Amino acid sequence: MYDVGLDNVAQRKANMFRFIVSRTIWLLITLWAVFTVSFCLMRAVPGGPLDRERRLDPQIERNLAARYHLDDPFWKQYVRELGNVLRFDLGYSYRMADFTVNQIIAQGLPVSAALGGAAMLFALAVGIPTGVVSAVRRNGLADRVLMTAATLGIALPNFVIAGFAIILFVFLLPWFPAAGWGTPSHLVLPAVCLGAPYAAYIARLTRTGMLDVLRQDYIRTARAKGLSAIAVIFRHALRTALTPVVSFLGPAVAGIVTGSPVVEKIFAIPGLGVHFVEAAIQRDYTLAMGLVLLFTLLLYGANVLVDAAYVLLDPRVKLR
Amino acid sequence: MTRAATVYRILVGAILLLSVFGLAAALALVRPEKADFTFCNGTEIKTVDPALVSGQPEGRVIWAIFEGLTTYHPRTLAPMPGVAERWEISPDGKTYTFFLRKDARWSDGRPVTAEDFRWSFQRLLHPETAAEYAYELWYITHAEEYTGGRVAVGDPVEIELREREPSDPPFARGKMLYGRLLAIEAPEAAASSTGPGRAEGSGPPTAEPVYVVDIGGKPRRFQRATAVPRDPTAEDYAWLLFDFHRVGIQAIDERTLQITLKHPVPYFLEIVGFFPMCPVPRHCVERYGYPAWTKPENIVCNGPFVLKYRRIRDRIRLEKNPYYWDRADVLLNSVDVLAVESAVTGLNLYLTGSSDWIPTVPNEIVPDLLRSRRRDFLPAPYLASEYYIFNTRREPLNKSQVRRAIAMAVNKQEIVSRVLRSGQIPAESLVPADIAKYVAYQPPHCERYDPQRAAALLSEAGYPGGRGMPRMELLYNTHESHQAIAELLQSQWSRTLGLDVRLNNQDWARYLASRREGEFWIARAGWIADYLDPNTFLEMFTTDNPNNHGGWSHPEYDSLVAAAQVEPRPEQRMRLFRRAEEILLREMPLIPIYWPVTRNMVSPRVQGFYPNILDIHPLKDLRIADHPSLGTGE
Repeated sequence: MYDVGLDNVAQRKANMFRFIVSRTIWLLITLWAVFTVSFCLMRAVPGGPLDRERRLDPQIERNLAARYHLDDPFWKQYVRELGNVLRFDLGYSYRMADFTVNQIIAQGLPVSAALGGAAMLFALAVGIPTGVVSAVRRNGLADRVLMTAATLGIALPNFVIAGFAIILFVFLLPWFPAAGWGTPSHLVLPAVCLGAPYAAYIARLTRTGMLDVLRQDYIRTARAKGLSAIAVIFRHALRTALTPVVSFLGPAVAGIVTGSPVVEKIFAIPGLGVHFVEAAIQRDYTLAMGLVLLFTLLLYGANVLVDAAYVLLDPRVKLR
Repeated sequence: MTRAATVYRILVGAILLLSVFGLAAALALVRPEKADFTFCNGTEIKTVDPALVSGQPEGRVIWAIFEGLTTYHPRTLAPMPGVAERWEISPDGKTYTFFLRKDARWSDGRPVTAEDFRWSFQRLLHPETAAEYAYELWYITHAEEYTGGRVAVGDPVEIELREREPSDPPFARGKMLYGRLLAIEAPEAAASSTGPGRAEGSGPPTAEPVYVVDIGGKPRRFQRATAVPRDPTAEDYAWLLFDFHRVGIQAIDERTLQITLKHPVPYFLEIVGFFPMCPVPRHCVERYGYPAWTKPENIVCNGPFVLKYRRIRDRIRLEKNPYYWDRADVLLNSVDVLAVESAVTGLNLYLTGSSDWIPTVPNEIVPDLLRSRRRDFLPAPYLASEYYIFNTRREPLNKSQVRRAIAMAVNKQEIVSRVLRSGQIPAESLVPADIAKYVAYQPPHCERYDPQRAAALLSEAGYPGGRGMPRMELLYNTHESHQAIAELLQSQWSRTLGLDVRLNNQDWARYLASRREGEFWIARAGWIADYLDPNTFLEMFTTDNPNNHGGWSHPEYDSLVAAAQVEPRPEQRMRLFRRAEEILLREMPLIPIYWPVTRNMVSPRVQGFYPNILDIHPLKDLRIADHPSLGTGE
């Protein structure tokens, strides 16, 4: 137990406030830098959003470019788009012209988040118990089998896992639909395929953490007191052993809720992952920009949360 | 509080949050009722605005919710009455008079009139709409001038003043003036290559001419406000175009539309049935503007179906249109259009009964499907061509002998039977031979595969055994089968001609840019016909055609194609096209590789589906059989 004095609390509140302000400023700078780099890169690569296999009549091409202001000088396009971003209005997608970038994100993000949430839940529900069992039965048969499975889970790309899952649970055992979105049963296979590598990783982190903790003196004390093995593991050891899992969760959640192009494509799920890839391939400038900025924001936010969580975990860590 | 306890709480909190999130999302999922008919439509469509689309997936949706003057017969592709119940063609083949049916209605109950078509065609042609398919209507007199903003002294012109709010939707007409162009006062060096069309924000200020227009007997001067130097006596304008009243599209009365062409166009009835030429409801477009008018809650359409809802990259739900004139013959009440990007996923959906039609199947399983003779797999010839083009601007590809040698060394049979293996046909001409089943055109043959003669030709040209040939590159876009074909070509050329060709694989957008800029030696190309006529292929190799990326130019070819395009006698016309293609295949600015096939898979419970050479399958004609054993239409 730490005895925290009143002064100390005030001090920590002030620190927290400073921390939030400075991180917000850095966030804005990061977003601006990401915006500028993406803007330049997108226009530097050959090809543009109006290209297609059959070449248009030059007059029609000019009309199209004028319509999208692509005939403006570079700096003018930059200023216009920066202004749009500041107003949170990225305009219409080039590729899906009936929708604004905001509408596309509004439809896609909840889908990706639901899928990502379910995948994360699966990863935690499978990963943590697996890690605990492996650590407790260290070098036993269970440990070897589970850790081999975990290594496979990390090593196998998720389209391979998806292929096996579809053959098994769609065609051999017709339990789940092959693809699509609309009912909870549509969520199961993609969530498992998306979550499997994360589950494997969490299992390894948990196992390592547990092995560390189980050697500590206080565990020996707890055992010596005559506590049951289960009580020792869950009440004492696991709490501490999960610290590395928490720090892994921050960026992992940011990555997983913005969608996975591979799993979304295989299961025809209308999330953000496929948008991301297609926007880049099709040179859909506005949509690509919106998604890059969204991802920056989420990744940055998740990292700030993890930093803040460390402080809660350990008062010796100072916020700066 | 201990550190460990905090970790525990955070973790439990995170798990709870995730569970709540997951549950909420799962509950928020809408469970759509199964539609009568579901099909996979490939990629998410660009828009449902007919004027702004170009692809096949878009076409399937547009044709379901809109209907043009004509429609296509699902089997023979012959033009059939659509909104026009009949038409008359003048003896010179240049004037088409369409008589609209009186029961044609918009989905809000209003009648579809000739004026609706006139306005929709004007919108399609107007430069502000920037429609990709506007050129299809350039056969109409003065239509090309209208889209291009090209005016000459003496022309009737229309001027749209800037009395439109900036927030107004595109193509809401502001105040219009009409008159005759008296003079173009060009400041020096103002060749006006961009035309007078657009007035605003177009790059750096350029020298802009002053247009002097006689309006009601008084000359008035117009110049863009952005012009430098600016003539202080001139008025600003938004658009200055050829007067649309003088373009060959006239609404004679509510139900009669007259269209005048520059020259006879035998496939014009197909063109007016093509999906970009579907009418759009002026009252709806002007009320909501683009793209708000395309939203399911706003859209008004005139086809067999209406748009119920749209979920991006998921599905489009269509429902039967109660106001459609032929509603008695529409037997599907609801249709789901799935956006499924991957062919494998589409096949999984089809095999598990979640989709009744998939327009394509993965390449790898085609040999199996062919072997097992599944009755629901319907491969059929397609009016499309896969070929490679030579960059004839570069030495030594500017020599026809060298091109012929390279082309003659290509073993197409090997490509088709070893790489593609799914029923494609080795191509002996640019225009697919199967066109002969629909129109009276028999394409000529190019020289056959002959390694010895190819090698002899190359040494005659001064490159015996490939010595002296530069190191060339083969450009193609990222795709499994394109890659395999390019590798095979590389080895065939190295084997028979001793050529050292490198492969250059680029992503789609970059590859298009390279082709357009002429940054290639030999490049892969593909072309899908827009209409049933050799012109759709042959036009592309005329000098200065925007799609002639290889820069090949042959005056005789140009004049033959030009003569064929305006030739009124059908037989003579096809003879001219054939002579043109003979030149093409003698000079070889391209290597025809293969003709693709369509690969539809249609559930046995679906009737009224017919494979055809344009791969057009109107949803209107489909129905679900009570006795699936009857199978699909043969």
